[in-house]
Amino acid sequence: MNETKGKILVVDDEKGLRIGTQRLLEDENFTVDTAENGEQGISLGVASDYDLAIIDLKMPDVDGLEVLKQIKSVHPNTICFIATAYASYETAIESTRLGAYGYIPKPFTPDELIYQVEQGFRQRQLVVESELLKKERDENLIEIASEKSRLNTIIKAISDGVLVINRIGELVYFNTAALKYFDLDSLSIGDSALIHLPAPIVEIIKKIYSPDQALQKTYSIQLELKSNNELFVESTCTPILQNDKSIAGVVVVIKNITEFKKIELIKSQFVSMVAHELKTPMAAVQGFLNIILDDSISIPYDTQRDYLVRSVIRLKSLTDLVNDLLDISRMELKTKQREITEIKLDEIVQSVSQMLELELKKKGVTLITHYEEPIPTIKADANEINRIFTNLISNAIKYNKDKGKIDISISHSGSYAVIQISDSGIGMKTEEKNRLFQEFYRAKNEKTRGISGTGLGLSIVKKIVESYYGKIEVESEYGSGTTFIIHFPINTN
Amino acid sequence: MALIAIIDDDPDILDASSLVLKSKGFDVVTATNPVDGYDIVTKRNPNLIILDVMMDEPDDGFFLAQKFRKNGITTPILMYTSVSKAIGLEFGKSDMVPVDDFVEKPISPEELVKKVESLLQKK
Repeated sequence: MNETKGKILVVDDEKGLRIGTQRLLEDENFTVDTAENGEQGISLGVASDYDLAIIDLKMPDVDGLEVLKQIKSVHPNTICFIATAYASYETAIESTRLGAYGYIPKPFTPDELIYQVEQGFRQRQLVVESELLKKERDENLIEIASEKSRLNTIIKAISDGVLVINRIGELVYFNTAALKYFDLDSLSIGDSALIHLPAPIVEIIKKIYSPDQALQKTYSIQLELKSNNELFVESTCTPILQNDKSIAGVVVVIKNITEFKKIELIKSQFVSMVAHELKTPMAAVQGFLNIILDDSISIPYDTQRDYLVRSVIRLKSLTDLVNDLLDISRMELKTKQREITEIKLDEIVQSVSQMLELELKKKGVTLITHYEEPIPTIKADANEINRIFTNLISNAIKYNKDKGKIDISISHSGSYAVIQISDSGIGMKTEEKNRLFQEFYRAKNEKTRGISGTGLGLSIVKKIVESYYGKIEVESEYGSGTTFIIHFPINTN
Repeated sequence: MALIAIIDDDPDILDASSLVLKSKGFDVVTATNPVDGYDIVTKRNPNLIILDVMMDEPDDGFFLAQKFRKNGITTPILMYTSVSKAIGLEFGKSDMVPVDDFVEKPISPEELVKKVESLLQKK
């Protein structure tokens, strides 16, 4: 048997007609159930969702129209035909009102019946299909609605301000962050956005809406919304293009860039300090050379030689400065590969003081060491630790009095090695102490005149110590000496 | 001959400038910080002041110039600048910067002498 086309219910009290119809339809590959009276018709027609039902109008127990009504109330998509020998205008209207699809006048020929049934069946298929589509669409709509509310929640929660402005400058959408940035208590959808936004943003929006297509692109600007670097934002305005390339509106995204700006400022201050520090010795050298080369100025040979010697000294300081800068940049970029080894602090002190022996002798400074047993070892890069001691001990010599003293003591405190380097030098005033570790800061007073340095030494020391999670402190009294105290973790890996 | 005060914290610049100006016959007094600078100007009453823009602080040359003017010292001031161009900072003569002319370091003897002579003639 071929696959069934569909399920049909035949309700008729006339046995011959009922069975004849059944056979006829079964030959057309329909599955057919039959009911011999109205009551049975209702119970079958309600119990399952038939594709079609052919209902006799006149039955002794229940009227065909009542059967139609009952079936339709439960299965509105069952295609129902009313079959009758007593066709009247009224019953036709009434059956249509109750949802009958067609009217089959009795008696009918097989062809007439099959034609009607096929018509009805096609209708049923259409109805079922559209029902499916509708269901699918409803499900999609629910999904879209929840997607929309999810997006809404996300946009509301982000810290960037978001505003959407339509073609005529009205606000279509905004989040709370946007209100905050522009210091507005409230805004409503439909408000004119242009009177609430800063002028530079309004100008960009007008540009995007201009008829010139070349101007219709994304723009970003930085705005200082609160002065003194308190609030800097970057505002990005992007046109929303429709399918035909016309502009539906503009999305404005406001991002807080205050922290970036602060870093930028520090960076540019650093660059200008470096520029100044590099240019100062170069200007001195160039000045000397310009004079020596100038034929209109006669200079005694000794003076010329003095200028050349001084030029060499300035160039040497320039080289030191460049080396220090490179060290700092390597440290900050962490490009330098560390070679971590076990370092005995007394050995480092010894090798550094040997290296600085000439300077010590020149000034007649004595260096005294005190080691607490067992002498702590640390795990670190030997070059970096060497640098710490070189910078601190050479400072202790440079800023010392003639025939002064340097005390170096190394001891333990918990899991830290404690290194103290004290000098009997010129000491520092409080304000000098506070700025000591700043890059390029050098104490300038009558006592420091003639002492050279890059102004980076202590800043490098501090960077190294802190990179190993250590700490450096300074104690000083103006006129009587300075002590640097370093706490360096013993178990550094 | 005219007396010129040079105020700059860099001894090399002081010596080089002094030598150039002395070789052209000027008398020179020098100071290495704003306090001494103010002192020599009030005591020696020079015909021209050469002032470095940056000594201990990035702008103390400006402050010293303002102090001279505020206290009625109208002596022409020639300001030494060094990094202004390097860091994109351009400044000109104004109420904030009450000086008469600028010389960019490093010093070219010819330019320095030319500017000094022209300021002295104006007076």
